[in-house]
Amino acid sequence: MISLILSLTFVSGCWDNSEVNEIAIELAWGIDKAENKKIMISAQAILPMRISGGQESISGESKNKPFFVVSGNGMNTLDAVQQMQTKLSRQVFRGHRRVIVIGESMARQGVKEVFDTYTRDPNLKLRTDIFIVRGGTAKNFLEKSYPLENISALGVLGEYGQMGTPVEMGLLNFLHAATSDGACPVVPAIAIGMDTKSQDQDNQNEQTNSDKEGFRLAGAGIFNKDLKLVGYLNAEESRAMQWVTGNLNKLTVPATIPHEGGNVSIILYRMHSKIQPDIQSGKLKILVTLTGKGAIRENNTRLDLTQTNNISVVQNALEHHVEEAVLRTITKVQKKYGTDVFGFSSTIKRKNLTLWKSIRNDWEEEFREAEISVNANITVRRIGVTGPALQLKASEIEK
Amino acid sequence: MRWIRSRKKLIRNKNSNRFGSTFPSLSPDQNAELSTSLTINEMMLREIFLNSSDIIFRSISSNPEVLIIYIDGLIDTTTLDKVMLTPNLFEETPSGLNATSISGQIIQKKLVAISQIKTVSTINEVTDGILKANIVLLVDGENKAIVADLKGFEKRGIEEPAAEVSIRGPRDGFTETLRINTSLIRRRIRSPKLKIESITIGQVSQTDVAIVYIDGIVSNTVLKEVRDRISRIEMDGVLESGFIEEFIEDAPWSPFPQIQNTERPDIVCASLLEGKVAILVDNTPFVLIVPMTFWTGLQAVEDYYERSIYTTFIRFVRYSLFNIALLLPSLYVALSTFHQQLIPTNLLISISNSREGVPFPTFVEALLMEFMFEGLREAGIRMPKAVGSAVSIVGALVIGQAAVQAGIVSAPVVIVVATTGIASFAIPRYNFGTAYRLLRFPMLILAGMLGLYGIISGVFLLIIHLLGLQSFGVPYMNPVVPSIPQGLKDVLLRAPRWSMTRRSALFSGKNKTRIPEGQQPISKQGKTDE
Repeated sequence: MISLILSLTFVSGCWDNSEVNEIAIELAWGIDKAENKKIMISAQAILPMRISGGQESISGESKNKPFFVVSGNGMNTLDAVQQMQTKLSRQVFRGHRRVIVIGESMARQGVKEVFDTYTRDPNLKLRTDIFIVRGGTAKNFLEKSYPLENISALGVLGEYGQMGTPVEMGLLNFLHAATSDGACPVVPAIAIGMDTKSQDQDNQNEQTNSDKEGFRLAGAGIFNKDLKLVGYLNAEESRAMQWVTGNLNKLTVPATIPHEGGNVSIILYRMHSKIQPDIQSGKLKILVTLTGKGAIRENNTRLDLTQTNNISVVQNALEHHVEEAVLRTITKVQKKYGTDVFGFSSTIKRKNLTLWKSIRNDWEEEFREAEISVNANITVRRIGVTGPALQLKASEIEK
Repeated sequence: MRWIRSRKKLIRNKNSNRFGSTFPSLSPDQNAELSTSLTINEMMLREIFLNSSDIIFRSISSNPEVLIIYIDGLIDTTTLDKVMLTPNLFEETPSGLNATSISGQIIQKKLVAISQIKTVSTINEVTDGILKANIVLLVDGENKAIVADLKGFEKRGIEEPAAEVSIRGPRDGFTETLRINTSLIRRRIRSPKLKIESITIGQVSQTDVAIVYIDGIVSNTVLKEVRDRISRIEMDGVLESGFIEEFIEDAPWSPFPQIQNTERPDIVCASLLEGKVAILVDNTPFVLIVPMTFWTGLQAVEDYYERSIYTTFIRFVRYSLFNIALLLPSLYVALSTFHQQLIPTNLLISISNSREGVPFPTFVEALLMEFMFEGLREAGIRMPKAVGSAVSIVGALVIGQAAVQAGIVSAPVVIVVATTGIASFAIPRYNFGTAYRLLRFPMLILAGMLGLYGIISGVFLLIIHLLGLQSFGVPYMNPVVPSIPQGLKDVLLRAPRWSMTRRSALFSGKNKTRIPEGQQPISKQGKTDE
């Protein structure tokens, strides 16, 4: 009896263990469109030997990438993974995935049909970020190396984090927005190459071949309720959008000071936003109040910032600039795409349920027609270590 | 007190002849009275000590004739010469008087220079006296013998205990001589309340064992339990206190020691003041202290000599280390073979990198290295000092470096095993640490079989076992379970001494006040005393 129990302990258990050198750790995952309504899954699997194998590999020539990209086609994700597995000697291990990238064509076709597995499989984690490859395929992106990071896909996470938005929330936010009544998901976009000259064009098709290495954040892709990509915001617009949704931790705002012919830059922190819906004579009005506190770190004007009246001049200019930029963004989204990426719908639902119930059925129309005003409230908390710019003569300084 | 009662039922009433039970007749009729004839007495004794070359029979032909018997080597022969064998010792015996008893009296008077003297009248007492390093005087015409204490055997001096070193605190340690040991305790606690009860255990070895406690502070239930259990012991010889420990512990199959042992008189005295009972055994410097709790296993003597803030910090370090000692290898195995998701990505990559090309599964690797580490430790202890350095070189080079370079084991496993080894040595009580080193292996096997689930099951089993464990009727995990807030001051922290005012509620007697309240030093804030 005892030996029976003992043997039970010994023969059981080992079914799902695997040594770390028997798994192919993949950190980034790409979804692309393939022919015949199939999808192509690409994975960036790391080669541990090339990463931390001691001194000899650190001197690493860039040709020996510490990762390789393997892909497979299939009817759905797991079918593709199975095909991918035929090319791999080690089991694909998806528990450490940090990034999911979606090719532009796939995003335009819609991702509703392929997203189930990312929440169903218990081996996967929710703390994953999603990106869209603007004007490229996911596989294309995964094959690029990045100068600062060994694993190139982690470079995009770093870029995204440096923007001041909370990272590792991408998948979760996407699912939140997708399941809510009015809101539409918005996903940061990346473009291959570090050359930024054509960034602001909405439909940017081909990269110049001058820069093959690296990639950059290129605004954000807007999805509609069918989870199809409808358009992009550029970098500035996407920052404005993040501020309105309250997901921004830091932001540098430059502004021209009227009547001065110079400009200032402020680094904002403690940024908040407040959305106040209101209905006036049957028309939806939304007041967005943005607040932020910050430190002035650049002052290219003749103003002496130790004077409080000069501070208020600067503040006004900054507020004006922010209001304009944010309103422009909101209006663009409103008129061009009609997708609520700012979370207005959920705020209305939260603050005024009866109003929401009355407008929810034609929310898209209401959103397009809504009258939106933006009010920025920026406080200068620090001005740096000097009052006026030091290169100015005393006579040039404006007190 | 249910447990004590149930214990009592188990007492075997086989032999009511408890202490000093007689030898199973080695020689003719040991209980016989001494005869008045010296020749007969000598004959009987010579027969008892047949073939014992170290027994000296020294007869002095004076009037009356005197026979001195002692064991060579156990007697202070210089004093013997000076006091007894001086030629004029027996000369003054007045003749003509009714000599038989008077001679005895006079000898007794002469022997005033010797501190301990008693008169005995049976053969048994005589042999006992001889064996316990006394000299025995037999006088012709007397049916009584004089047993005089003249112990003078070679003994080790008081040295610093090698196994329990402290930076601050007294440096003296117990020796192999019971009397010296009791004197070390007596010197620290100069109270008539300090009681030292002596009994003899071992039918052949006749070893002296002393039960030491402070009357009024000790818990009577515990004391009674100690007496009961010790009196139950029947064995041929007691050579070390471990012999006794195994007979009186509560759970012989538990990996955890339920009786504390120490070489340090200051630890013994501190324990006595807490209400514990010490058991001293002759011929060993290791003293047993009961009851033991889980937490005493993690307390070092310096905890009470250093300032409380520092000690509290060190205790937290120790608590973390003892968890590491138990769990680190199994956690490593579980995480790297079952739950790779839980390892930070970069760490996983470097682990996976170093495991590239290693022939064994992680579990086997860890087991192997742990085994080797235990082997090194064991070899290091037994090695003669001259060879000791060879062991460490071989250990460090072969196992630490060469094995990794050859790709037989991976570097993380070596790091894990080394960390675990260091952590296990940070447990202050050696025998408590061994419990953990032992338990590491079942934990490792559980982790290798079942992953984190196995580790958690193992920890649960361990906790269940610990909660059920008792030491002399006192719960092992107290004062955490059952929870005694006052006692927690000395477990999670080491509160300042003036705040630990009460003794343990579980194992101390009537007198529970350790320190009167209100002695916290108050800063005078610069004011001067008038």
